[in-house]
This record gives sequence, structure tokens and C-alpha cells, in this order.
Amino acid sequence: MPEAALRDLARSLEHASAPPARAVPVLHALRPVVPGGLRPGSAVGLDGPGAASLALALVAGVSRHGGADGEGGWCGIVGVPSFGVVAAAGMGAEPERLLLVDDPGDRWPDVVAALAEAVELVLLCPPERPGAAAVRRLSALARKHGCVLTLTGPFARDWPGVRLRLRLDAVAWEGVGDGHGRLRGRRARVVAEGRDAPGRGRRADLWLPAADGGVRPAEPVRPPLEIVPPAAVRDGAPVHTRRDGAPAAVRALPAQAMDPAHAGGKGIA
Amino acid sequence: MTRVLAVWCPDWPVTAVGVDAGTAGAAVVQGRIAACSAAARAEGVRRGQKLRDAQRRCPGLVVRERDTDAEGRLFEAVVEAVAELAPRVEVVRPGLCAIAARGPARFYGGEEALRVLVQDTVVEAGHDCGSGIADGLFAAELAARAGQGGVVVPEGGAAAFLAPYPLSVLDRPELADLLARLGVRTLGAFADLPSGHVAGRFGTDGALAHRLARGEEPRPIAPVRAAADLSVRAAFDPPAEHAEQVVFAAKRLADELHAGLAAGGLSCVRLEVEAGFADGHVLRRLWRHDGRLSSLAVAERVRWQLSAWRDGRPAAGTDPEGIEAPAEEEAVWGGVTWLELAPDQLVPDGGRQEALWGRTAVTDRIARAADRIQGLLGHGAITRPVLAGGRGPGEQVVRVPVGDLPPANLPDGPWPGRLTAPAPAVVPVAAPEARLLDADGEPVVVSARCAVSAPPAALLVGGRPAAVTGWTGPWPADERWWDPEKARRRARFQVVTETGAAYLLAVEHGHWHVEATYD
Repeated sequence: MPEAALRDLARSLEHASAPPARAVPVLHALRPVVPGGLRPGSAVGLDGPGAASLALALVAGVSRHGGADGEGGWCGIVGVPSFGVVAAAGMGAEPERLLLVDDPGDRWPDVVAALAEAVELVLLCPPERPGAAAVRRLSALARKHGCVLTLTGPFARDWPGVRLRLRLDAVAWEGVGDGHGRLRGRRARVVAEGRDAPGRGRRADLWLPAADGGVRPAEPVRPPLEIVPPAAVRDGAPVHTRRDGAPAAVRALPAQAMDPAHAGGKGIA
Repeated sequence: MTRVLAVWCPDWPVTAVGVDAGTAGAAVVQGRIAACSAAARAEGVRRGQKLRDAQRRCPGLVVRERDTDAEGRLFEAVVEAVAELAPRVEVVRPGLCAIAARGPARFYGGEEALRVLVQDTVVEAGHDCGSGIADGLFAAELAARAGQGGVVVPEGGAAAFLAPYPLSVLDRPELADLLARLGVRTLGAFADLPSGHVAGRFGTDGALAHRLARGEEPRPIAPVRAAADLSVRAAFDPPAEHAEQVVFAAKRLADELHAGLAAGGLSCVRLEVEAGFADGHVLRRLWRHDGRLSSLAVAERVRWQLSAWRDGRPAAGTDPEGIEAPAEEEAVWGGVTWLELAPDQLVPDGGRQEALWGRTAVTDRIARAADRIQGLLGHGAITRPVLAGGRGPGEQVVRVPVGDLPPANLPDGPWPGRLTAPAPAVVPVAAPEARLLDADGEPVVVSARCAVSAPPAALLVGGRPAAVTGWTGPWPADERWWDPEKARRRARFQVVTETGAAYLLAVEHGHWHVEATYD
């Protein structure tokens, strides 16, 4: 084979196998679960409670990275009329770079195909069980143009070839009491599973959303401390003596009152 | 000098909102009187007054929001009546139109005869008006407002006619204020100033005002002559069977039309779309638009027009798509043979923002994708959100179809009782019903004084009960209480259930709804 032809072949192979230029960006707080960003052209599945917030966070991550000249950072949202635009803006999304198609009806594959060529991320809630032909066509288009397909809704699990699944675990809203306060944020553990997060997957504790509407890493829950008189310390309980020899004035609460993940932890801070 | 006949309908903004001259009424814009009826003026209501002051002087004042669309629409009746007598009517603004008087005056036997005839015709059409003839539009307008139903100012007498008027009629408050401090209080005194000095001191605009005051014309009357030249037309051979073909052609025509308008420094606020069919039928519709019609918007209007035609026919099986009709149905009219777009109401292009996409410029790729989706689903199917003011999570977002300008007058201001961050992630379009029960299984009731009957214990959404672990509220929202038709009185709650879900509930008239979910 002539050398020039070989070089051409090598170049075309290189071109075909190399992933498109750069990863699709995610919010800073999501980097522990999606290191480096989303793989262009891949499909991401969201389900379970909290899928809507995760969708907003992914859209915000893409949208906030666009340039001022309109290059990049566009997101298409198909079939999600209840998309919380204000919440997305709170997480950092630019509303003017969102394209909403609230009611695509049965033309949703055509709508997604049109958007996949132009935007970096399409959030799709399929209104019906996706057919194999539509999935093949849209996956191929997404790969070709480096667009991330994010699936949500009841049929998200039926989409074959999803490389990354995100869900929320151990959620707890904070700020609301019994007739007073207001919602200030939610502690949640984001779990990433699938081929792009091999093994047991990746986990991160986040405020999703935080008190100002953003997404922020959450500090691990520390066992609450309680002030006790020295006499109340049980025999045999681990007591750290102070430098001057006097017994400690605090002790950790009993283990069952703590978060199970940290019950075996350090004890006294 | 051209002789101009002006037809002036008094207090047109008030007439347009359905208040007659005998009733004390006013049209308001942002809490200030934009126009008031004669009866209200007799009570001391003035233009520019605060609504509160006006209502103090005239407690029975009928107040309506100003509706510029209605003004333009209703004025068409007046213009049509005048056009019966003399063609080429120039609409100066809704409420004032003008024709060149010389020809018609000769035809109808004198200027006074023409003036009375025009006035009678418009009054017969159902609108009170004054008509006046003078040299130039400015003097003609004042002549129409003078006396009982207008006067004829003889040729060359404009300067003398204008002399006693105060400077406020020039509609240049800053100039009038400055001149008043210089001791110049009437148009006559202003006209006596040497024109070179006026131009040197007050610039172009001052020189223009000076020309007006001297009874000279700032510009000749400009009837809508350019319309015929700027209209664009496409023929279909063979006749277009599908609306899609016509819509595509319309988009191209609209681009041509815009290029022609831009070259003339004009923009068009009303567009006439004509479609001709093979058997000679012609569909003609006028479309009005607030801003400049983008080519996509024009194409969409052509689509509406064609689908309206299909809906209007007594055809047996009209499909809901309304567009792709079977060939045998098309045979009734034989398909579209030509399409013409004619700009009908031209205004000088005041330099509107050219980027139709708001702040962020749009790339060709995005525009192409949006184009395809609009071709599939219609103009309004793909939108861009714009954040606006409002209290509830759904009220804070306005969805603007891609290609349209965002609405200019978005509500702004402090929103006491606005929901605080974080905002809910799921905002359903139609709030689903919910039930909030207390420990005894009775519905939780919120009294008029915002007292909660019992702490909520269980929430039922879609039939599934969940125990309430935390709740807060009520946060009352009493909106538009001054308008009985639009008034809404709600109380909002945030509720967290045992499943870890958080809801924004609203109770209105005793019914609970899930306004949004903090998913």
C-alpha cells in the first residue's frame, strides 16, 4: 500500500476513534461524581426522587459555560413543561440559552434530532416507550454531534445504552419546623453508577439546592456534642482526659442517635 | 404650500376603550392619566395627572388601561369612512388622519364644503370628530381642534392662525419651558425670532419647531404610496397543493420584504397577506404586530391564514393538522397560485434592536434547529424563557417563542411575599389537586385571618397519603384585590413529608393544590 494512502487511513482512523474535542462541563460541585464532565455523545439516565433537581443541575452546568457570543452552552429541554426555570437560574443557568419544547407530542424524535445537531445537552422526557429505531437514530446523531442526551421521566429506564445513571440518596430537607421556618436547602448524596462510573460507583454529599439556590458540597455530618457533668460519664465509656488531668466536659451522644455512616467515627471532636 | 385636511377624533384613547364622551372616563398608563373624556375634563381631570389625584377630583371616574391596539383597530373605521371620499389617507396616529385637500376640495365644491362633508361622514360612521383645513399638517391639526368641529384656515393664513397658541402645542416640553423662561410664551412670539439664531441655539429640532410655528411645513404629507412598490409576490406553477410550500415561499418573501423596507429606512407594523387560488378565489387578511414582524412570524401568519381558510370550509374530514390536505379536497379551490405580501402601515424605522434573540446572539446552528422545530410544530412550540417579576414560581417566567422579541413591559417592582430561594425544581403547568389532613383526618382549613385550623398531619397527592414531618405557613398572597375579575387570594405552605419530598402547596377558596414540588 502506498505510503500516502496509509497515512490517510491512519488519519481517518484516528479521527474516527478520537472522542470529540472536549467534555461537556458540569457544575463544580458535581465534579466528584462526574470527574472531567460528561462524555460528549453519551446518554445519561436520571430517575427516582430528585431527578428533576439533577436535571436542573446538569442543564445549569452546561448553560453557564457558554460564551457571550452565543457559542456553546445551549440546552434543549424536550417534553418537560414543568421545568423549573427559576431554580435552574438559581443553580447558575443562563435562561436565554435554554430552548424549551414543552409539548412535542409524537414528533419528539424529530425534535430531539433537530436539537441534537445544535445544542450540547438535550434533556428529554420521552412521552412514550422509545422505539428501537428512534433510539438508534438519536444515539447515532448525539454521538456524531457530541450532544449529551439526558433521559428523565417514567421511560428513562427503557433507554438502552445509558452509560451513566445519577440518582439521589439519603435526602433530607432542612429549615422547616413544625409550623415555622422555611426550606433552606437539601442535603443529598448524589450517586453515579454505570459504565462511566465503574465499580461501586461514585458518591458525593451535596447541598442540592443550597440556601441561595446553588449547588454546593456539603460538609459531612458531625455527631452532635452534648455538655455533661463529669459525674454523669458512665464507667468504661471512652473519656479523653484534658491536659491538666481533669475529666472531659463533653461526650458524644449514644451511637444510635447518630448518622449511621459516621457512628463509628471519631467520637469526640 | 400643500393644503391639508386633518380629521381629529377627540380623546381617542378613551373612545377606544369604550368610554363615550358623556361619561367621565380616563385611559391610564402606569398610574397616570394618558387621556380623559370631555366630562372628566370638566371635573378637573388632566392628562399626566396621577390616577389618585384624578379620582379625588372626580370620584366616579371610569378607569381603563390604555389599549393602543384597540386604538389602531377602531380607527380603521374612521379611515375607511374618509377614504370613501378621498383616497390616500395618511394615518398620523390613531385619532388623527390627514388627506391632501386641494383635489377633493375642487371636486366637492370648495374647502368649507369638503370640511363639512368629511366631518358628517365620520360622524355618520359613529365617531365624533373635528376636521380642519390649513397649510401643512400641524396647522391643520390645530384647525381641526379649533371652534365647534374645526375651521378652514385660508391659504397663507397659517402663521396668523397659529400666533396666539401657547408653546405647549408644539409637544416639546423642554423647549417650551426654556422659551417661557426667556419670555417667549406664544407661537407668534417664537415665530418672530430670527430663524438663524433659533437654529444656532436650539439645533435641528428647534429649527423644526420654528418652522412649525411660522406655519411652514416640516415635511410634506406622506400618504402610503410606497406600499405598492414594496410589496413582494411569488407565483406557483403548478399551483401549490400543500400549505408547506406556500409557507416556505412566504418566509423567503418576508426576507425580501424586510430588505426592501430596510433600504427605505422603514418598518412595517401592519402586513397584508393575499393568497390567490387557481379558481380565482383570493384570501386577504391584515396582520398587525407590535414589533417588527420577523420573517418567521410572517410565515407563521401565512400558515394561520391558510389553516383558517381550511377550517372555514364545509369540508367533510378536516384533519386537525389543518395543513396537508388530500388532493381531492384541494381540488375545490385548486391550490394556491400566487402569494403577495404588502406592507400596509409603514412607520419610519426608529432603530429597534435588531437582534431578535435578546442579549445572547444566536448562532446559525441554533436558528436552523429552531426553524426546523417551528416547521414541525408551529411558531410557538419552541420558546426561550425570560425571567420576569412575580410572586409564585410559575409567574416568574415568561416563555417567548424563538424569533420573537421579549415583551417590552414586563412587570417590575418589589414583590412582597415573593418566595425565597431555593426555588422549586418542578413547576407544573396545571397545579394538581391535593388534600391536607390534620391528625383527626379532617381537612386543614385556613381562615380569612390566616389562622390554621389544626397542624397538618398527612398529605394526599394523587391518592397516595404521606405523613407530614415538617410544615410552615401560611404565607398569604392577596393579588390584584382592586380588580374583581383578576383578584386572587391564596395562602402558601411548604410541607415536607416522610418520603423526603417537599411541596409548595397553595390553598385557594378552600381547595388545596400542589403549586410546585421541590423535587
